Amino acid sequence: MSEYLIEVKDLCKTFPIKGGLFGREVGAVKAVNNVSFKIKKGETLGLVGESGCGKTTLGRSILRLIEPSSGEIIFNGQNIVNYSPAEMRAVRRKMQIIFQDPYASLNPRMTVGDILAEPMEIHGLHIGKDQRKARMLELLNQVQLPADALNKYPHEFSGGQRQRICIARALAVEPEFIVCDEPVSALDVSVQAQVVNLLMDLQRDLGLTFLFIAHDLKVVEYISNKVAVMYLGNMVEIAESSELYGHAKHPYTKALFSAIPHASTKGRAGRIILEGDIPSPMNPPAGCHFNPRCWNATEECRVNFPPISSQSGTHQYRCYNPIK
Amino acid sequence: MAGKVLEVKDLVVEFRTDRGTVKAVNGVNFDVFKGKTVGIVGESGSGKSVTALAIMGLIPNPPGRIANGKIFFNGKSLVDMPASEMRKIRGNKIAMIFQEPMTSLNPVFTIGNQIEEVIELHQPHLSRSQRTAKAIDMLRLVGIPSPDKRVNEYPHQLSGGMRQRVMIAIALSCEPDVLIADEPTTALDVTIQAQILELMKKLQKELGMGIILITHDLGVVAETCDTVAVMYCGQIVESADVDTLFNHPAHPYTKGLMDSIPSFDSTSGHKKERLQTIEGMVPSLFDLPNGCNFQDRCSKVTDACRGINGDPVLKPSKGEGHYVACYNPLN
Repeated sequence: MSEYLIEVKDLCKTFPIKGGLFGREVGAVKAVNNVSFKIKKGETLGLVGESGCGKTTLGRSILRLIEPSSGEIIFNGQNIVNYSPAEMRAVRRKMQIIFQDPYASLNPRMTVGDILAEPMEIHGLHIGKDQRKARMLELLNQVQLPADALNKYPHEFSGGQRQRICIARALAVEPEFIVCDEPVSALDVSVQAQVVNLLMDLQRDLGLTFLFIAHDLKVVEYISNKVAVMYLGNMVEIAESSELYGHAKHPYTKALFSAIPHASTKGRAGRIILEGDIPSPMNPPAGCHFNPRCWNATEECRVNFPPISSQSGTHQYRCYNPIK
Repeated sequence: MAGKVLEVKDLVVEFRTDRGTVKAVNGVNFDVFKGKTVGIVGESGSGKSVTALAIMGLIPNPPGRIANGKIFFNGKSLVDMPASEMRKIRGNKIAMIFQEPMTSLNPVFTIGNQIEEVIELHQPHLSRSQRTAKAIDMLRLVGIPSPDKRVNEYPHQLSGGMRQRVMIAIALSCEPDVLIADEPTTALDVTIQAQILELMKKLQKELGMGIILITHDLGVVAETCDTVAVMYCGQIVESADVDTLFNHPAHPYTKGLMDSIPSFDSTSGHKKERLQTIEGMVPSLFDLPNGCNFQDRCSKVTDACRGINGDPVLKPSKGEGHYVACYNPLN
């Protein structure tokens, strides 16, 4: 078995655009375009990018919650893209997801006990009333919630506590891989830190592998071993976390990092203000998709789509004129 | 001090609910000066937005009311002002931009229409063609490309950043003395946020207005504000100029907020230590403790904080203009 738990190769997802009188297909949005990466067991890959860059679509495609259009997803050495629904169900036990909005992702009519029991029921785990109860208490303990939470309803909890319930639900089936889709974006700063610490503790104790999707670059840098940057459906750069933040090669990565406001009044660095908005993914610009906003763009960038810099190596980027 | 445009004194805003009356804002004081930016930071439910709505005279009554305190705008009291007079100030001399550019524009009117509506209301002497010309000018001012075409477009045809620019154009179309920006960039991506903050700074320089910037993002505060007030449970727990606050925070809550942000250290190759957190949660406004509201989450709590000597009040700390409401402030 390889050291990589999950490997994604040339994953694409296109959504058709329907239009006209009979709803014919008039175009396609390439939400995710030829994305490849690997995540080592027990590590975290951070995925950053602005809204609409395809990070959530990518996260869901890996779990096949959205069917990918093409490409391979190799989980534990097996390509799961063509698995039947029954085969997929067995794999899903090993891969879970935590969503952004803890208010919307818990059923308000179910108690926390029911919420935690449901995944175990589906996968036939911990059968028997006492065993299941014991497991639920263990889960609550893992996410640092009191035992009396079992009989309460989601509305009785604050945002941070609800996110802990979501984490407990994901852990209920003992997964190996969890996609965290903006798990702390909806939380206040002080609570956000509690949840980030919890996720890191769980990773250490249970050996979990995370794909951590967020637009908050500071949190991503903090939690991730490697970070990938997406722009309009393409992965434009991927590197070790400290390498990427210290020596970004792609101008977009550089601009993204420089746009973060620092909570300090010392040494305000020069800011790169990008002109314009993100182009529509329905009609991306020719060549490098970033070229209309890039200050380093040359003729080549306007014509050809830049290839990945190197197939091996830990730092890869798609740019003709990388930052030295 | 010269150039004071807005003064908030001992403001208390109450809401009546089924479970009793809550004070969403409880004794808040601050001043806004011409050409300067005041930041109000705090977590959800700390009373930031209610303070802003109180200044605008937009507290829904019932259930809410301004129970105590004064708000002076250029020396005139806004609290005692009749509604008809307040209407002449609101949107004209004191303007506001909201968090959600998606929901605060009317989807069935063109953006030109929505800018002209404000101008028509507050500058009735302008003719229709003059109003349109002014709307185009405003769009140009906020950096919208080809404003003469955009003026006839609907909100759904614009991106989030563009819509927030339109909101700013509406707010600035009457050249207000005070602009209240309630989380103006929270719904936007970082690169767009940088554009909008830069734009607000530029316009402030040109028009000389005072800005109240409400946000939960300490980074935004550090980069844009001159003075800062930190709110917790409806009260200001610390206020200072921006340098003092970030370099010498005195209230344990302020310090806790700053420590819970992952620091952005590009040189660190080592695995980082755990994030500092503030234990527990913000207490419910229905059930506030005696004494300091922060006592149950504070590491420096003593008996004095539990209400023996009453609630802590804002007192001068080290340095000019630095106030903190704490019995055991940090040095």
